[in-house]
Amino acid sequence: MTLTVSDLRVRYGRGFLLPVRWLFDPFILVGVYLVLVSIVLNKPGEAPGLSIACTVVPFQLVTAAVANAMITIAVRGPIITNMNFRRTLIPLSSVFTESASFVASFTVIVTMMVVYGVGPTVALVWLILLVPLTVILATAFAYPAAIFGVWFIELRSFGQSFVRILFFLGPGLVPLSQTSSRASDLLKLNPLTGLFEAYRNVFLYGQSPAAWQLLIPLAFSIVLLSAIVPLYNHEQRELAKLLG
Amino acid sequence: MIVATDAGVRFFFDRHRRVVTSTAARVRRGCSTSWGIRNVNFAIGSEGVALLGPSGSGKTSLLRLIAGVYVADEGTLTANGRIATLLSTQAGLFSLLTGRENALHLGVLAGLSRRQARAALEEVKRVSDLGDYFERPVGSYSLGMRARLGLAVANQISPQILVLDEVHEALDHQFRNYLEEQVHEIIKAGGAVVAAGHDHPMLARLCTRAIHLDHGRVVADGRFEDVRREYLASVGG
Repeated sequence: MTLTVSDLRVRYGRGFLLPVRWLFDPFILVGVYLVLVSIVLNKPGEAPGLSIACTVVPFQLVTAAVANAMITIAVRGPIITNMNFRRTLIPLSSVFTESASFVASFTVIVTMMVVYGVGPTVALVWLILLVPLTVILATAFAYPAAIFGVWFIELRSFGQSFVRILFFLGPGLVPLSQTSSRASDLLKLNPLTGLFEAYRNVFLYGQSPAAWQLLIPLAFSIVLLSAIVPLYNHEQRELAKLLG
Repeated sequence: MIVATDAGVRFFFDRHRRVVTSTAARVRRGCSTSWGIRNVNFAIGSEGVALLGPSGSGKTSLLRLIAGVYVADEGTLTANGRIATLLSTQAGLFSLLTGRENALHLGVLAGLSRRQARAALEEVKRVSDLGDYFERPVGSYSLGMRARLGLAVANQISPQILVLDEVHEALDHQFRNYLEEQVHEIIKAGGAVVAAGHDHPMLARLCTRAIHLDHGRVVADGRFEDVRREYLASVGG
C-alpha cells in the first residue's frame, strides 16, 4: 500500500489533471483502433468502439503494469540501496499503481455503451471475477517484466513491444467470432484472448463468459507466477548490487 | 549484537564490466567475479564503531551487509535489533515526494505501522527542523536537508543499530551535535552504531573503536585512535 501510494505520486504526479492522465491513453487508443478497424480494414462488426474498448481497458492494465515493472527496480533504487524491506512486493505494487488508472478507464467502456446504446445487463456481475482476474494476469506479467528490466536494461523497449504483440496476436481489434476457426483455435492459446472475449461477453453481448475465457488466463497466471516468483525472490537478494 | 563470521560479498560482472546478478552471470558468457569484502570477522556490542579505509576498500559493502541490504554470499553476518540506515545522502528519499510523504513512506518501510508513521510525522518535522520545506518536494532540498530528514525518520523507529555511510558529513554543525546526542543515546541504551567516512574528527566523536578495511579485508581492529593512526600511516597520511 505504502509502495503503491508513493509510486502513484511519483508516476502520475498530483492535482486535478490526474484523471485526465489516466484516461488519455485508453481514449486515444480506442479512437485510433476504431479508425483502423472501421475505415482502414473495413471490418467494423457490432458496436466496434465498444468492442475495442472491451480489449483496450484490460490490456492497458497489463501493458502499463509491464512498463512500470520493468523500471520499478531502478526507480526504487534509492530505497533498495538504503534499507532492507520486503522487496518481493515491488512488482505487485506496480500493478496496484496501474490498477488506479485501470479502474478509471472503465469510463471508456461506459462512454462507448452510451454511444452505441448498449444497456447494462445482469452479466456485469461477472466483473466480480473478471476484474481480479485481470489484476492477477497483470501481476503474472509484472514479475517477469521486473526481472527482464533488471537483466536486460537496454532491451526494455522490446519487452514492451512483446506485450503489445500479444494484443495483436489476440482478438484485440476484432472479436474471435470474426476470425477463421483455425486462427481462432490458435489465438485461444494467448492468455489475453480469453480476457478480451470475456469483457466483450459481459459488456457488449450481455452474456456470461465461457469457462475457457476465464480458465486459460487464470491457468497461465498460476503457471507463470509459480515459475517466476521464486526466481524473482532469488534475484531480489542481489538487486542492491546492481543499483550501485 | 552484530557478528560477522568469514563474511563475504561477491559481485558478478558481464563482459562490459556491468554488475549482474549471479543467475544472469550463469547464463551469460564472459562474466567475471570480484569480492567486495571477504573473510570479514568481528563482533560488535554496545559501542560506536568506525569503518576506515580508502574509497573502494569495502566500507559501503560492509555497511550494506550489516543493514541487510546485501546478503552474505559466503560466511554469515547476523545483526540483532531494529536497524536504521543512512547509507547515502539520498537516504531512500524520492525527489518528487514532499518531506512529509517521504517520512511516511520510509517510516512504514522501516517497520512502523501506517498509523504509527503518521503519528510520528510532526515529530519528524520538528526534529528535522525543515519548517515549510517539510511540505515541499525533496528535490528542492540541499544534501544537508536530505540528511536531516533521513536522520529524523531513522530516529522514529528507535533504532538499536544505526548504520551511517558518510551521510553525517553532509550535516551542518547544529545537526552534527544532534546526531552525536542520538548516537550516544543509542549506545547508552545498549545499541550499536557503525559509521563510515573520511571526516575522522567527526567519527572520533561518535566511535570508540575502528575497523580498518583494505581491499575488502579487515587489516586492523581496535581503539579508534590506534587504528586511525595505523590507517593514516598505511596511506602515507
